[in-house]
Amino acid sequence: MSKVLMKGNEAIAEAAVRAGCLNYFAYPITPQSEIGEYLAHRLPEAGGMFLQAESEIAVVYMLYGAAGCGARAFTSSSSPGISLMSEGISYLAGAQLPVVFVNIMRGGPGLGGILPSQADYFQAVKGAGHGDCRMLVLAPASVQEAADMTAEAFELADKYRNPVMVLGDGLIGQMMEPVSFKENKEIAMENKNAWATTGMAVRGGNTPNLVKSLHLDPAALNEHNLNLKAKYERMAREDTRWEIYNAEGDYQVLIVSFGTMSRVCRTAVEMLKAKGIETALLRPITLFPFPEEHIAAAADQACCKAVLSVEMNMGQMVEDVKRSVGRHKPVRWYGKCGGEVPTPEEVAGEVEKLIADTDIA
Amino acid sequence: MSVSLKLKDLSEKEVLLSSGHRMCAGCGAAIVVKMVLLAIDKPVVVCSPTGCLEVTTCISDYTSWKTPWIHSAFENAAATMSGVETMYRALKKKGRIDKEITFVVFAGDGGTYDIGFQSLSGAMERGHDMLYVCYDNNAYMNTGIQRSSATPFGAATTTTPAGSAIPGKMQHRKNIAMIMAAHDIPYVAQAAPSHYKDLMRKIQKAAAVKGPKFLNILSPCNRGWRSRIDDAITLSRLAVETCTWPLFEIENGETTITYKPKKKKPVEDFLKPQGRFAHFNKPENEWLLKKIQQKVDREWDNLIRAESAKGFYN
Repeated sequence: MSKVLMKGNEAIAEAAVRAGCLNYFAYPITPQSEIGEYLAHRLPEAGGMFLQAESEIAVVYMLYGAAGCGARAFTSSSSPGISLMSEGISYLAGAQLPVVFVNIMRGGPGLGGILPSQADYFQAVKGAGHGDCRMLVLAPASVQEAADMTAEAFELADKYRNPVMVLGDGLIGQMMEPVSFKENKEIAMENKNAWATTGMAVRGGNTPNLVKSLHLDPAALNEHNLNLKAKYERMAREDTRWEIYNAEGDYQVLIVSFGTMSRVCRTAVEMLKAKGIETALLRPITLFPFPEEHIAAAADQACCKAVLSVEMNMGQMVEDVKRSVGRHKPVRWYGKCGGEVPTPEEVAGEVEKLIADTDIA
Repeated sequence: MSVSLKLKDLSEKEVLLSSGHRMCAGCGAAIVVKMVLLAIDKPVVVCSPTGCLEVTTCISDYTSWKTPWIHSAFENAAATMSGVETMYRALKKKGRIDKEITFVVFAGDGGTYDIGFQSLSGAMERGHDMLYVCYDNNAYMNTGIQRSSATPFGAATTTTPAGSAIPGKMQHRKNIAMIMAAHDIPYVAQAAPSHYKDLMRKIQKAAAVKGPKFLNILSPCNRGWRSRIDDAITLSRLAVETCTWPLFEIENGETTITYKPKKKKPVEDFLKPQGRFAHFNKPENEWLLKKIQQKVDREWDNLIRAESAKGFYN
């Protein structure tokens, strides 16, 4: 298909429709309201359901209901809205229901701002909800990726029967870039999944299905959690994604960065290269599962003297980077957390400072 | 002693919302807030949830409020004010404060009818001493004109676009004043800025009563209603004259209609100047107007019956 110039939010919405997701529930919040606005006219056209709820709390349980019936369903929101949904995310994980969340992050805490941020890293990766629950988290770095990952998120959610989040930021949502879409996918509204609550007659007899997250028997709850754990470990084995850039040479510094910020870092790597300073960029594409082995391997190279985690927050992923690298190489954070995006010059400057401070040269 | 409502006297009173706020030109809500604050003679503490008013009155490190003001999240202004008012009562009990304070919540329709509804209901039921003012502009204007449960039937918003699938929003608005009256609170009223004396008198009445009070005030929004920038008061008047927005009060469960138009104007007069109803002109959409007129007539009749029955809903 040829490329069209589209705003990230609209591309996400279109990608979901083409991925066969005809059920969207949401509540407006800046900077992602265009997703809902786009779907408000696009979904009826495609024979789908658009529903604007009275709050994000209602949204997440509408998703629970829809997913419980085996339907493909998704929502989009921004940071404070995701906070309101977090109880429901835990229930979805507990009941093992596949739902896709798109979080177009804005700065916090509290109402924060409406400009781009990556400050929901912890929330998405570690604190999706109470209890031992996890989401698979994809971090797009372009409008094209945001569209592709949204489509893919539905497959992953179905594969694991687990909530999946596409974690973008205000820049991904608001920026316009050329994007091409995959062919339409026909997904039947009615459910074919054996676990969904579709009525016993569908399954030809007497096997009632139960969608729930309550396990009062401690042994049963323990077993349930161990099963979830095994699922999260399977995600790590089968779906950890990352990419590494400019790692062929003898890089002195390994930069780790995700999403929008990784694109800026890529330019910084080029700028430094022109100055004769070799650096490599490792970009986690899934934030959970986190590519810890790959970061460890890249940092372990003899040429690599230090690691810099660049994020649009006050230092969240850096904790996972430190955990991956260990104590034998210095790991530092650089970033901004008010809605400004650090420039390539600023990142390059930080790398040079790191080199000077650790006395590598 | 209550504030004199003579224009001359009002013009000399300090307004607690300073000019220089960033509400849009021609915004009805800014006018409403000023009228409400002018009518109160006691010190005022204000709480606003997220919305146009909040965003535009606390840009950066500045505040437009010349009175204590607190912002919380979107869904819980009434809960936040419950906390403030409870602490005030605690201090008063201990004799550490003796000032009489009026606690006012200014919330939009999203923060009142929808996401803030649970905390509003809770605060009204517990009986906190607060005056809850909903500036009802009929949609989520701050995030870009999405429908709310205050959006009138047939109105086009960005999430109920008028097209071939639907001709605008297909549900009527919630009757929030009646829902609040059903909480059995001492004072509920509906007002409009075009009838400023009526509005301010209602505020004075509400402020004089202890306990929870609820006022729903129409706040024309030229951005969302797709109307002329200088039409806020004209549209407010038309809403009242067509009985689309009746002016009434419910004191301890008894309804009084505070303004009865001599001759009820057709609803069309109110809808016509607004772009959000532009699709009503299409021949296939004629039924929309009929349906709205029927609803307005029914509600007006209900109100008249409620008034004569000395109740609040019929």
